[in-house]
Amino acid sequence: MPSPAEKIWDRERQRRNRKLERASSALGASLRDKVVNADLAVRLLEAVIAPGDRVCLEGNNQKQADFLAQALTRVDPARVNKLHMLQSVLALPEHLDLYELGIAEQVDFSFSGPQAARLARMVGKGQIRIGAIHTYLELFSRYFVDLTPHVALVAAQSADAQGNLYTGPNTEDTPAIVEATAFKNGIVIAQVNELVDKVPRVDIPGDWVNFVIPSPRPHFIEPLFTRDPAQISEIQVLMAMMAIKGIYAEYGVQRLNHGIGFDTAAIELLLPTYAASLVLKGKICSHWALNPHPAMIPAIEAGFVKSIHCFGSELGMENYIAARPDVFFTGPDGTMRSNRAFSQAAGHYACDLFIGSTLQIDMAGNSSTATLDRISGFGGASNMGADAAGRRHASPAWLRAGEQRRTQQPGIPRGRKLVVQMVETFREHMQPAFVAELDAWKLAEFANMPIPPVMIYGDDVTHILTEEGIANLLLCANAEEREQAIRGVAGYTEMGLGRDLRMVENLRDRGVIRRAEDFGINKRDATRDLLAARSIKDLVRASGGLYQPPVRFRNW
Amino acid sequence: MSRSYYESNARARIAGLLDANSFHEWLPAEARVTSPHLATLEQPAAFDDGVVIGQGSIAGKNIFIAAQEGGFMGGAVGEVHGAKIVGVLERAVRDHPAAVLLLLETGGVRLQEANAGLIAVSEVMRAILSARAAGVPVVVVIGGQYGCFGGMGIAARCASAIIMSEEGRLGLSGPEVIETARGVEEYDARDRALVWRTVGGKHRYLIGECDAIVPDSMEAFQQAIMTCIENGDDWSLEALKQEHQLLNERVKRFGTCKDGRDIWRELGWADPISIAMMDNDEFVKAAQGHRTKNN
Repeated sequence: MPSPAEKIWDRERQRRNRKLERASSALGASLRDKVVNADLAVRLLEAVIAPGDRVCLEGNNQKQADFLAQALTRVDPARVNKLHMLQSVLALPEHLDLYELGIAEQVDFSFSGPQAARLARMVGKGQIRIGAIHTYLELFSRYFVDLTPHVALVAAQSADAQGNLYTGPNTEDTPAIVEATAFKNGIVIAQVNELVDKVPRVDIPGDWVNFVIPSPRPHFIEPLFTRDPAQISEIQVLMAMMAIKGIYAEYGVQRLNHGIGFDTAAIELLLPTYAASLVLKGKICSHWALNPHPAMIPAIEAGFVKSIHCFGSELGMENYIAARPDVFFTGPDGTMRSNRAFSQAAGHYACDLFIGSTLQIDMAGNSSTATLDRISGFGGASNMGADAAGRRHASPAWLRAGEQRRTQQPGIPRGRKLVVQMVETFREHMQPAFVAELDAWKLAEFANMPIPPVMIYGDDVTHILTEEGIANLLLCANAEEREQAIRGVAGYTEMGLGRDLRMVENLRDRGVIRRAEDFGINKRDATRDLLAARSIKDLVRASGGLYQPPVRFRNW
Repeated sequence: MSRSYYESNARARIAGLLDANSFHEWLPAEARVTSPHLATLEQPAAFDDGVVIGQGSIAGKNIFIAAQEGGFMGGAVGEVHGAKIVGVLERAVRDHPAAVLLLLETGGVRLQEANAGLIAVSEVMRAILSARAAGVPVVVVIGGQYGCFGGMGIAARCASAIIMSEEGRLGLSGPEVIETARGVEEYDARDRALVWRTVGGKHRYLIGECDAIVPDSMEAFQQAIMTCIENGDDWSLEALKQEHQLLNERVKRFGTCKDGRDIWRELGWADPISIAMMDNDEFVKAAQGHRTKNN
């Protein structure tokens, strides 16, 4: 057995140093401090990425390292191949081109959004191997355990020659990726929109970054969280009224996260009007883990909101956020810093409620956005919409939910996160939201997945809210009651029509199912007149002109 | 809470504008006077054929009213629909109410009814002029989601006065029609900003095609309607000549302009881009001396 002195403990570091030497000879005199010319990006990637490397390509929910993604598709597959890609989001065509070009072969990811259909086709043809589809927190966590990147390709707003990065408000995943890579012998390459003498603030310290490439054009950012209030329906207003009166007020929900969609936008726009008329200001919705939804502007202006920590930013909201530092997390430079890892953790452990929409719900309350021809993965909902069973700190909402659960399942006192699924019984094209079996089962079989891709598990869901009412699953004694509670709000879907009328009436008597009139809500009051803003222009006005919506959302 | 005109349907608009409980509907939905043409084509019908007509009052003044329902076939005018509007106007010639109010929201002729729809629209135009000739002012209100286009755009301009909100749109060919006929290079109907700069309420106000522009609330529309009725209708030859003079000048002055903004600049607006975000009151104030008509 070799003595400890002989054993080599820095193989990884040596490997990294050899890569850096290769890079410096490949780039030669053109390398200025850490700055690499854009036209040498491919050469740099070929020097520092070895066959079989784990490469984290920053593809976030919003911000994309798109220039580096394109450069990676142009490397010589004879030199760079068999890569194991790590990505939060597979958003760009280039992300999948890598597998057709023979550069990469395996991927671990969370969400595939616009590439979901192509991904399913490629999986079907055996062109790509999926390690696992993670929730965001799982993927970030594994960067620090057994999926640490050898090379990270990230995006930032600006950099100085020493590699200090300023991410701007869209910090998003960058800190988690860079920290895991830089401190475990990896190489970090950043594409930046501009090179500056001094960055406005240091989001990533320069000594964690190996190379900086000024990109020929700014990185792409998708405005994912803007919903035009003009498209909110009166059904959605009614559902929002029930959410506010039947859940937020009922439990005194102060710390929460909203999924994205018109349903939740309706709630946000009802806070300064309907919720205020119920004298709920200060009693609900004060602290948020949330992207800066433009629909929040009226509630913020009305003084409903004390703080919002953001996963990412939202195009057009930059100036508004900067002008509201009491609410948003902003740096000494005045602009926001977001952080997806921390905001996800906050949503998971510090929030008392998650509410969001989905495509399908089965009779056990499991929900999924998967369909057979699309592998879309998970957005933020699967972490946000899960009861953090390890939580200890108490809050009134959390305790009350726990109390309700113990009326049916006795146990030691502990709380419960409120997880609400808010759906209209029929979605677009008259597709029923309630089904006997989730399409996720068929997808799992087709794509050979170990488990069906369920977005939110039925046992994590506490309430299902439809236009027909609210089913409180905490108060259900067993699986049969649970099924009837769900059927009891499933409207005219096949599942809803299959309800046991007597049981549903009994559940309503017990307050397991509650309808609008049980909350004292008159359906005729559910009009769009209740919305604090009825158009994007109203939001701009509410912001005092600080919100500058992207062109596609304007009619001026 | 102010009620939005834009967001309301035809019946809610009537309820919002007229004195409480003053409305008496003629040929209501229960009379089921529906389109024979749609039935032939097995298309869904509306029991009021997409227009609500009747009598009521505003501030005690006797008013005849017709309100098009954009929610039914985009407010398109069919034979029955048109005949109902004509009936209101002809009855006004006989009964002399204080005014006829036309709440227009329409894409124009209902294509399914072809010639019958076209004839209906031309009859509406003639009936508007008959009512005005009989001394009854006809006030058009445009502030709905579908705008006022096609033949009804012409009918609107036959009226004594037009009241719009900035959300309202008024034109002959609608944006999609122009794009289809002349190509996207000529007019990009998906460029919503361009659409509002060329047919939106503020632009129509600045080039003198609407007489009043109001914020999107029932109260504001109501106020403007009362003002229009009080101002009465100038039906003189002199007024007509003046209008023709304005139209001639308009072609000369703006004939080469490519965009609403070019016209606004020509009208003396130093910063035309700022117009879009101005509140209604601020806009009306700033527009003094910077529109083709005097206020």
